[in-house]
Amino acid sequence: MNVGVAHSEVNPNTRVMNSRGMWLTYGLGVGMLHVVLLSIPFFSVPVAWTLTNVIHNLGMYVFLHAVKGTPFETPDQGKARLLTHWEQLDYGVQFTSSRKFFTISPIILYFLASFYTKYDPTHFILNTTSLLTVLIPKMPQLHGVRIFGINKY
Amino acid sequence: MANPSAVCNGHLHHHHQKQNNLLKSGIYKKNGITKGMKKNGISNGTLYKKTFIEHFEQAPMYVAVLTFLGFGVGTIFGYLRDFMRAWGLEKRNIAEEREQQKDFVPLYQDFENFYTRNLYMRIRDNWNRPICSVPGPQFDLMERVTDDYNWTFRFTGRIIKNVINMGSYNYLGFAETDVNALKTVTIELQKYGTGICSTRQEMGTLDKHIELEKLVAKFLGVEDAMVFGMGFATNSMNIPALVGKGCLILSDELNHTSLVLGARLSGATIRIFKHNNMQSLEKLLRDAIIYGQPRSRRAWRKIIILVEGIYSMEGSIVRLPEIVSLKKKYKAYLYLDEAHSIGAVGATGRGVVEYFGMSPDDVDVLMGTFTKSFGAAGGYIAGKKDLVDFLRTHSHSAVYATSMCPPVAEQIIRAMKCLMGLDGTTQGLQRVRQLGKNTRYFRRRLHEMGFIIYGNDDSPVVPLLLYMPGKIGAFARRMLGKNIGVVVVGFPATPITESRARFCVSAAHTREMLDTVSTA
Repeated sequence: MNVGVAHSEVNPNTRVMNSRGMWLTYGLGVGMLHVVLLSIPFFSVPVAWTLTNVIHNLGMYVFLHAVKGTPFETPDQGKARLLTHWEQLDYGVQFTSSRKFFTISPIILYFLASFYTKYDPTHFILNTTSLLTVLIPKMPQLHGVRIFGINKY
Repeated sequence: MANPSAVCNGHLHHHHQKQNNLLKSGIYKKNGITKGMKKNGISNGTLYKKTFIEHFEQAPMYVAVLTFLGFGVGTIFGYLRDFMRAWGLEKRNIAEEREQQKDFVPLYQDFENFYTRNLYMRIRDNWNRPICSVPGPQFDLMERVTDDYNWTFRFTGRIIKNVINMGSYNYLGFAETDVNALKTVTIELQKYGTGICSTRQEMGTLDKHIELEKLVAKFLGVEDAMVFGMGFATNSMNIPALVGKGCLILSDELNHTSLVLGARLSGATIRIFKHNNMQSLEKLLRDAIIYGQPRSRRAWRKIIILVEGIYSMEGSIVRLPEIVSLKKKYKAYLYLDEAHSIGAVGATGRGVVEYFGMSPDDVDVLMGTFTKSFGAAGGYIAGKKDLVDFLRTHSHSAVYATSMCPPVAEQIIRAMKCLMGLDGTTQGLQRVRQLGKNTRYFRRRLHEMGFIIYGNDDSPVVPLLLYMPGKIGAFARRMLGKNIGVVVVGFPATPITESRARFCVSAAHTREMLDTVSTA
């Protein structure tokens, strides 16, 4: 069982987000998360929206910007070992459609959350900081940058 | 060279046909549209002598969503189990370093093993199954059970008999132990023994090799051929001898690892074109010729196109007529790896060159293996005499690798003679016809049952798409429960949404066996 035995794609992780149905699955996943949160009786609607936003951004940060490398061995001799999944997407080419989609979706979630929380100050601070944690690593200037050496190796 | 009028026709109509291609058959692979060349009535007639139907149907969207959900659930559970293993709540079954070594810098990144640990281990019992009989249309399996969820196996000692074999590349059914059939092989075994113990250039060229090479050249209709002991090594040792630095290799997306390894070892620049996509190939050729080498803009020393006859994971057949006309137009070389197609396609089993009705002079380097249709081991490279003479002196395999052993060579000789009809019977032709019949029947039945099958209608490799990760394990186990052995593959050897089970139809399968498999 080895990577790349049936195709010459060196790192299949780069193509996962472009696969057919991935965006839809992602949207459905976020929708389901929100519905689950809404159905908990203790949370009011603004709290549910803020929680959706925060949990979604947390998950996105962990899986796209914190975890490095690939879950399988690749024949590229470890070029992708120190790269996060975001940096691996499309072999580092910026502004591809997957990157644009995953940049825009937290922004849309942020708009919805701000609307449903009626622009309340506490919720605003929470949502904005959470959005920034997920938007800043996506900027092309920060490709491969590790601030203060966090997550370098 | 080839028939001049065909070449002229190919040139004249080629552009026209490509325009039609773009308009009618839509764009490239996997967009749900049948790539039916038959629909382009006019322009088709000159290049393709019969209809070329390939399907790469797409599954409905809900299947893709469920596949991703399956992988997502698997990943979450994987993280959970890793967490429990790290905190000692669960036993660690995989190899660990010694206590004294725990402070050293780690050799491996543990995340790289994530997929193997958490997903592959769960369904590991479907691969590496030991068999204990000849892999003919049926074989015997050693039964093995696991007590700790596939981390270790033990053999019960029982043997499951007569499992229908849908995984071996036994296309013409030459993997047999019939004493009469193997008579000449046993004679040669008594005469020559089993080992050669030498390379081709030292003491390892026997009269058997010369005989075999002449026979292969006659079979394919070329000037000369050279045989090597190992099929994988034929590719990986000879491509470096043919191309080097300053050359350009254009290789198909889904080429086999041996071709990829040979290309990487050669030091040439490699560019990849989309699978069987002639527009992509032409664009690459044009760019290569216009822009030359990357920084110096010099012309490339050589441009070589690497393709396979039948792609073993997709079941698709290469579009040889178009590639040949492209290669002539842009003056590139063509290397055709007929590992799966030699003996399996074509009216008399001579491979894709015969299947498309073309002359073997059109292809510069014909390569193939004897492992699949001939029931032996080894590979060959055939072509013009100058090419083969060059390889006899310059091939890495000729200098350093031992040559083919004589009983195996005799097996190939007898299989090839049978196929060519030189042994006086029509058995060879019957086998080829039987294979064609079995292929068409099997594909039609599976298609009627509503499964999604990839590939060309004439290829004996039948990938059946399974999609979901859970189904990979379930399908293989269920099939084994019904005494059928299949090969399943999943991510990352295939794209993430396209895990599949791959059936290899053989001439030795009877209709009842095929029926049993389809209804199972």
